[in-house]
Amino acid sequence: MGACIVAGVLVGLVSTSQGPHKEPAGYVKVVMGAATITRGSVPMPARPGDAVYEDDGFRTGADGRLGITLKDDTRVSLGPNSEIGLSEFKFSPAEGQLGLVMKLLRGVAAFVSGRIVALRSDAMRIETPATIVGVRGSHVVIRAEAP
Amino acid sequence: MRLAGLALVVMFACACHSHPKIVQAAAPPPPPSDIIALLGDPETNTVGHAIVSSPIGGSVELTTERAGTRVVIGESPSAPFTLAETQVQQLFGDALAARPPAPRHFVLYFEKGSSHLTPESEALVTELLAFVKSLSVPDVTIVGHTDTTGTAESNIELGRTRAMLIRNRVVAAGLDDSVISVVSHGEADLLVRTPDETPEPKNRRVEVSVR
Repeated sequence: MGACIVAGVLVGLVSTSQGPHKEPAGYVKVVMGAATITRGSVPMPARPGDAVYEDDGFRTGADGRLGITLKDDTRVSLGPNSEIGLSEFKFSPAEGQLGLVMKLLRGVAAFVSGRIVALRSDAMRIETPATIVGVRGSHVVIRAEAP
Repeated sequence: MRLAGLALVVMFACACHSHPKIVQAAAPPPPPSDIIALLGDPETNTVGHAIVSSPIGGSVELTTERAGTRVVIGESPSAPFTLAETQVQQLFGDALAARPPAPRHFVLYFEKGSSHLTPESEALVTELLAFVKSLSVPDVTIVGHTDTTGTAESNIELGRTRAMLIRNRVVAAGLDDSVISVVSHGEADLLVRTPDETPEPKNRRVEVSVR
């Protein structure tokens, strides 16, 4: 409870948005075919302009593609039959908090790194069931097929 | 050399003869694997750097354009190889096709102690607003800064006033307030390092990211 109040106050200080909700980590920019955002347990259809948050999951169908731009300018895009989670997004340069971790469970994804990597070269990591990719900049593509 | 080759053929033939089942069995399909590749930056073409490692140990660095590695689960990454352009399109083209537009950054400068834009920056605001309008679903971050004249507290206020001025221009151009973040760093994030109480035009700025 105390931590929630502190977090709410901090968010209020650094932005104009009000209320206890977390700041968006970024926005959906491109949707083609079937693509969903899972927040908690319910998948919702993704639409261009939707806000995305830390801990969201993203999934595309057989005809689906999805493009997201995070607030540090990192760009993430998914091809069909893909699934990725935004495990960590920390972008508070003034407080020295920088970290970006995504989990690509299956499918194909492209990444263009942004300010987080520009400010701290080892702060971005993509994990798949088989491997860990440290993205030091800028443009990395991953196809995850290992079961 | 030729003799050695002949010897291998003879050995292979002998092996086949003694184990005919091995010859008849189809080669097992390669196990499913990840492929990771480093590409040139889509805007600048510069080639960055990636480190691919396996949870069981072993890592490979990708440092050249279209350098790739293959990882089978439970194994170390393969030695790097170079993918052809056609392979990049074939393997990754679907994800590359959904890449959002490149974000752009604008730095707007202010007259001393005020929230009046310099004439050059006023012209840049026009360009900024045109870029915002060109995007289908833009979002904008606006960060206000000051030089070190005045107190840290008053500069947080001045930085915010400057940032809000730009925010109001973006809202007037039609962008929804909910996709605009406004922050003031006051005098805490100088572009040009100066002692306290130093007027510095380059520090009196608002940095705008449009995505």
